[in-house]
Amino acid sequence: MMWKERYRVGVDLIDNQHKELFNRLSNFIQIVQNDTHWEDKMDDVKKTLDFMKEYVVYHFNDEERYQEEISYPELEEHREVHANFREAINEYVRTFEEGQFNEKKIKEFAAKLMTWLIVHVCKMDQKIGEYVREKGGKV
Amino acid sequence: MKAEYVNSFYKATQDVFNLMLDLDVERGNIKVVEGLVSSRNANVVLGVTGDLKGSILFSFTKDMTLEMVRIMSGLEMKTIDNFVSSALGEVANIIGGNALTNLTCYNYICDLVPPQVIIGEYKSLSMANKKALLIPLRTDIGEFDINIFIAENE
Repeated sequence: MMWKERYRVGVDLIDNQHKELFNRLSNFIQIVQNDTHWEDKMDDVKKTLDFMKEYVVYHFNDEERYQEEISYPELEEHREVHANFREAINEYVRTFEEGQFNEKKIKEFAAKLMTWLIVHVCKMDQKIGEYVREKGGKV
Repeated sequence: MKAEYVNSFYKATQDVFNLMLDLDVERGNIKVVEGLVSSRNANVVLGVTGDLKGSILFSFTKDMTLEMVRIMSGLEMKTIDNFVSSALGEVANIIGGNALTNLTCYNYICDLVPPQVIIGEYKSLSMANKKALLIPLRTDIGEFDINIFIAENE
């Protein structure tokens, strides 16, 4: 299980989406890391990559909308980090589309996505929860 | 070699290990060493440019590396493949980024050169008899070292 209790932000909408995000990332990593021959699992890798990528974008959009709703003071900074994140993902996707869809590159992408997401959820997203709690949960 | 460098990297390591791995990091006695040398299996070299110039070497054992990635991914890792080495490189990179932020408090503005992960022993002896500092570190999942070989850019 990739999701950990200490990742909890304290906002149900965000926490549920983070759980789903980590589940999808975990599935992706498991397929990338299993012992099946690379050529035989390429379709599965592509499918789970799309599935996960799509959810990252969906989640970022929802999280930004929530921050707007609560007039979160650090929205712009958070939006910028999300934008950089999306761009980094798109750069990998472009590399894959240009034909470099190889095992080494996919493993590198999975590892980077994992570390980035953990840092982002543990650091920046926690501040959303802190803000909501400061406001007494009424935002 | 100034205490500011050591403190910046040590604090960044503590913060990142705590944040990403839920682990405390304790420091042993600092040693002065000749160049960057590691007999451990998994090594990450980060280049530093700007007001300071040089290299930082993180040295981990294979077991500790696999355990770090297991904690993050929730999955057992058998070997140091490209997934594991990329994750290790990224953790070191994040530590480096935080350390450079800490160094701005001492008015040093620097950039990082992307991490280079070397699996197997690593040896890069310093030129001109300049020394490096070795910080031994301890966690519940094993011991590792950070070698700091940086100096003010002239």
